[in-house]
Amino acid sequence: MRNASDPTSDSTSDPTSDSTSDPTSDPTVRTDAGSRGRAVLLAKGIGLLVLAAAVLSFPSLAPDAFILSVGVVIMSYAVLATSWNFVGGFTGYISLGHAAYSGLGAYATALLVIHTSLNPWVAMLLGGLLVAALAVPIGIASLRVRGASFVIVSIAMVLILLLVFQSWGEVTGGSNGLRVPRPFDESVLRPEQHERFFYLHVALLAVALLTWWAIDRSRFGTGLKAIREDEDKAQSLGVPTFNYKLVAFIVSAFFTALGGGMYALWFGFLDPIFQFSILVGSYMVLMSLLGGIRSLFGPLLGAVIVGYAVEFFKNQYGDTQFHLVAMGLLLGIVVLFMPDGIIPALSSLINRFSPQAASIREVSAGELAEQRRAAASEGKDLDATEAEPTDSLPEGAKR
Amino acid sequence: MSLFFQSVVLGVLLGGLYALLAAGLTLYFGVMRVVMIAHSAFLILSAYLAWWFTTETGLDPLLSLVVTVPLFFVAGVLMQRLLISRLRPATLTMMSVLLTFSVALVIEGMLGFVFSGTQRRIRLPYSGDSLELFGANIAVVKLIAFGLAAVSLGALFLILKKTQFGQALRATIQHPDAARLIGINTDRIAGYGFGLGLATAAIGGTALALDSTIYPSLHWHWIGPLMAIIVVGGLGSIPGAAIAAMLLGLGQSLLQIPLGTTWAQTIFYLALFATLMVRPQGFFGGRLAQRF
Repeated sequence: MRNASDPTSDSTSDPTSDSTSDPTSDPTVRTDAGSRGRAVLLAKGIGLLVLAAAVLSFPSLAPDAFILSVGVVIMSYAVLATSWNFVGGFTGYISLGHAAYSGLGAYATALLVIHTSLNPWVAMLLGGLLVAALAVPIGIASLRVRGASFVIVSIAMVLILLLVFQSWGEVTGGSNGLRVPRPFDESVLRPEQHERFFYLHVALLAVALLTWWAIDRSRFGTGLKAIREDEDKAQSLGVPTFNYKLVAFIVSAFFTALGGGMYALWFGFLDPIFQFSILVGSYMVLMSLLGGIRSLFGPLLGAVIVGYAVEFFKNQYGDTQFHLVAMGLLLGIVVLFMPDGIIPALSSLINRFSPQAASIREVSAGELAEQRRAAASEGKDLDATEAEPTDSLPEGAKR
Repeated sequence: MSLFFQSVVLGVLLGGLYALLAAGLTLYFGVMRVVMIAHSAFLILSAYLAWWFTTETGLDPLLSLVVTVPLFFVAGVLMQRLLISRLRPATLTMMSVLLTFSVALVIEGMLGFVFSGTQRRIRLPYSGDSLELFGANIAVVKLIAFGLAAVSLGALFLILKKTQFGQALRATIQHPDAARLIGINTDRIAGYGFGLGLATAAIGGTALALDSTIYPSLHWHWIGPLMAIIVVGGLGSIPGAAIAAMLLGLGQSLLQIPLGTTWAQTIFYLALFATLMVRPQGFFGGRLAQRF
């Protein structure tokens, strides 16, 4: 369903898909695609269930509290990377400074919990809204021109916030850090805390994924993807590019801030160096790119791989300078050799071996008439599957 | 009053160094539409090489320029030819940011690995010397650094204005397609432009090593102000970068009196946001800057 909702990108690389994917010109294709589409849908549904079951059963399978805490960190990365992908994936604008919004969300939540008697979860939501409000002027400043200034502002935001939060000691705790009260009382033990926060992060991730999916299928999402492919053409076709970019940016900042706030409540301690770190921002980029920024689950997959690698590395070799080199090399390799990510690479691999992957279909006139009759008789069903051909066909027709 | 004058002088000296480095940064953008995050990492690398040269040989760090400038020029050409030119043109601006960012991370990590994270400083016989000038006290090393930056900036200006290569480079910046039409090999010119930009980092790094303490992650403190400068000056405009660097360097130095060093740095970011709000193409940028 997903990759295919990306016909803009497909058609640029593949001129033939235009003629073959037109569902009205070729009814055989319709039924073909209809049954195949249903199978794909089923496979996707099963895949989703398996994924959900695997994620939800992780806490009960984890052998000790440490592994469980690694799981929480990975889920936190997954939330951040998915939130980043609202801007990076849809519009193609790469932000290296999303740590600014996660850090602000974390501090907003912490300060609200400390200074007001708000419920921690309300504070987290409020923190997210505050950061989203702050993202409006930042977005207006950085999105008025094309990419380069956006990147520069995104890095500048992290640097400026690091400066401010380190110097403004009386409010933020400065370099000494800030202790965040826990949302659960003392009777809840450490492993229990990790388990609860694991599920909470998963819930937040699910909401973010659902929002991404909904935008992906909407007219708004199509406009955003048009900006990604060619901003000039999108503008000339009447897409309100600036407003669209701004909204995507605000949504992204909101979810990133929620991710940061939840991390603050879990970890219980904030230090500006780690909150406003370019490195954290670049983790989000690397995870999304590695998994595939055009895919719904790309950032999640990237977060699992990179997050696990980072934690493994830290555990084995400590906090040496080597992780910078490893991170740099990995990012460079991904950018140079697989900028589309793992998921698109895998799905094209699967398509190569799938039996439908031929551009010329051998159908006799008799079979054609038969299929047309069948198609006419279940016309209603066809309407339901109308969307499917665009889904599965461009990929089939690619070869 | 003398404090004020002192700050003005220090601001100008600082602005000179900013101007040289920002000129390099905006040059990459001009020739390739690339935001070169690794610029300041190369700056620190060159500072470390100068420090290492001095501790190993006992000679003056300025002599290390004989090696580092050609080395960095070649590194710049290779980087453009082997890495940047491999990226897809459609996503070049965004992906080049990530690529140069990863180069910066590798340099920072290797510096930390080879030289450790300890803060380093070059000890020179004239480190403590200073000049009295109308009541202002100016360290000799700062003056040398400024002189180095001014001479290099002048040389860069002459190369761009007076040589045939400079003309070809400016043509490539202004309109790559048209430049190609009149027979300029824009790929090669872009490579040399990259090398030239990286050479400014080599010179700036040596100048920096003269009077400041260096450590591997220092480059993050430089890239922010430098990027703010090139946006304020107008992306791709070298005179704009130089003027903005001077003004902001002066502003930073003056604000240090009432606000202290940390808050004074925010002037760069405030200028960045103000510029993007009021005049997003920058104050000296031409047609090129409007689209980026």
